[in-house]
Amino acid sequence: MVATHRTAARRSQSISLKAQRRRRAYLLVAPAVVLIALMMIYPIVQTIYFSFSKVQLPALRTTFVGFDNFVRILNNPETGPLVRRTLVWIAGSVALKMTLGLVAALVFNAKVRGTVWMRVLVILPWAIPSVVGANLWRWIVQTDAGVLNQTLRSWGLESWALNWLGDPSTAMFTVIVAYSWGGFAFVMLLILARLQGLPEDINEAARVDGANWWQIFRYITLPSLSGVLAVALILEIVSGMNSFDTLMIMTGGGPANATRIWGIDIYKTGFTEFNLGGAAAQSVLMFAAVIVVFSVYGGVNSRIARRQGEAA
Amino acid sequence: MSAITSIGRPKTAHDYAIRQMVGTIGKYVLVYGLGLAFVLFSTLPLIWGISTALKVPSEVYAFPPSWIPTTLTFENFFLVVQNKNLLRAFLNTLIIASGTTFIALVVGVLGGYGFARYHFPGRNMLLWSVLFTKLFPRVVVIVPFFITLRNLQMMNSYQGLILVYLMVTFPVAIWLLKGFFDKIPVEIEEAAVIDGCNLPQLLWYVILPMSRPAMIAVAMYSFILAWNEFLFALVFTNGLERRPLSIALAFFIDENGIRWGELMAASVVMSLPAIIVFSFAQKLLVRGLSDGAVKG
Repeated sequence: MVATHRTAARRSQSISLKAQRRRRAYLLVAPAVVLIALMMIYPIVQTIYFSFSKVQLPALRTTFVGFDNFVRILNNPETGPLVRRTLVWIAGSVALKMTLGLVAALVFNAKVRGTVWMRVLVILPWAIPSVVGANLWRWIVQTDAGVLNQTLRSWGLESWALNWLGDPSTAMFTVIVAYSWGGFAFVMLLILARLQGLPEDINEAARVDGANWWQIFRYITLPSLSGVLAVALILEIVSGMNSFDTLMIMTGGGPANATRIWGIDIYKTGFTEFNLGGAAAQSVLMFAAVIVVFSVYGGVNSRIARRQGEAA
Repeated sequence: MSAITSIGRPKTAHDYAIRQMVGTIGKYVLVYGLGLAFVLFSTLPLIWGISTALKVPSEVYAFPPSWIPTTLTFENFFLVVQNKNLLRAFLNTLIIASGTTFIALVVGVLGGYGFARYHFPGRNMLLWSVLFTKLFPRVVVIVPFFITLRNLQMMNSYQGLILVYLMVTFPVAIWLLKGFFDKIPVEIEEAAVIDGCNLPQLLWYVILPMSRPAMIAVAMYSFILAWNEFLFALVFTNGLERRPLSIALAFFIDENGIRWGELMAASVVMSLPAIIVFSFAQKLLVRGLSDGAVKG
């Protein structure tokens, strides 16, 4: 009797302790919750609301217009080219960053003495502000006095000295190179971190068994990188989708809209054409696209995890 | 001959050693060659920028281009330091970045500790929301933020900019600090609690002193994120008054066009904090950026 009484007391005490702990936990994360609500939930709700509205400046009066904004995007002859440019931009920059990042990671992972200083220097473009990188490249590819064209001219390659940013046919390519220059080191660091966690003895064993470097890369290194490559891919696709700084500073979306990709388009629709409803509708679509990318990634990720679980 | 040996009978130690040596030399050539190519690709643009910043105006446009300035000058840097607009932008950036870093640290310590030590309903969902806020495309929120800031009369103000910059800095602060708190053994805290420490005392006297390195790294990282921010600064400021450095550099142009020497000098100045911080906290940053995405 006494014993049960005591356990009951202990239980009620532990329940109140638990409640107290829980209260404390909520108190601790409360500021974060407020910020999440403010920074994510509220903007999403607002954006969806605006996407069905016509927003009039300067008083920002909103009138409900149903699917008008979306229909207008659908019927806009500019939408097709915009989607195509965005895809070219994402594919180009992601491919370039991933290739450079992977090769650089493999090079700097090789146990060769005296390469640490190289690695540090290679990271620099990622470390400097995007504004600085964009201005740097704008100066380098400048038509008349830029070092690229001046060098080409001094080598007698006058015809190669193009108007890199002023010509719609080369502008996209030029900005992709500048953007990848500033970003590939991040992919490299991600892969490098994974490579350095891999056990070296497996490669050694394979080498003793007569495997060449390609076989080791193809059948040992690459499979163990699949996780980190998927992460890098997903992060780069999303950042490519909404990238803004480099494009805005180097070309402002021009010339003749040749580099006007999705992110630039939302900004310009909203803040130079003052069509906030239209910009909100575009934002909703981009938000949906990001969700799709993350879900696809989640699906692939869990399948990889399951497969690795089976193997183990 | 060597082909026959390699098929006919087991390799001798001598053959193996030679092959290994050739392999090692080949590896060195390949790694150094490719490594240097990457170094050139990464640093040549930077070197060109620095070189431009150190040139007199006439040499900036010289043909053929000279990589090493014939007359070294710091005039461009003096012009930058004397430029009132740039100084104001510099000060603006300093205020905004410090404010947002401070708030992010407070939110990050509390939230990071809460997530690391307590299990409560909704914990995982909240953690994922924090991560998602970080990965969330910033372009998507400029319209609602713009309208909100207008309604709150916080356009073109420090408070407004600090508020929106938090979206960039607080998720990183929470994730990095949570990762750090996870590794602190609970026993230390239990001892403090037995000694009669309450929660605020525990945080202030036990946790904070222990996590000083992590706090410094998080502060530096968040400061740099705010320092470099461009999109929010562009949308939520107008005019010179509250304009941060990133905007000032992006629109560094006057009636005479762009003065590249001066712009490059200003760019060097703007890059210094970032480069210093990244060279200190490189490892931690990569972990912070990849951790949340790899797990789960």
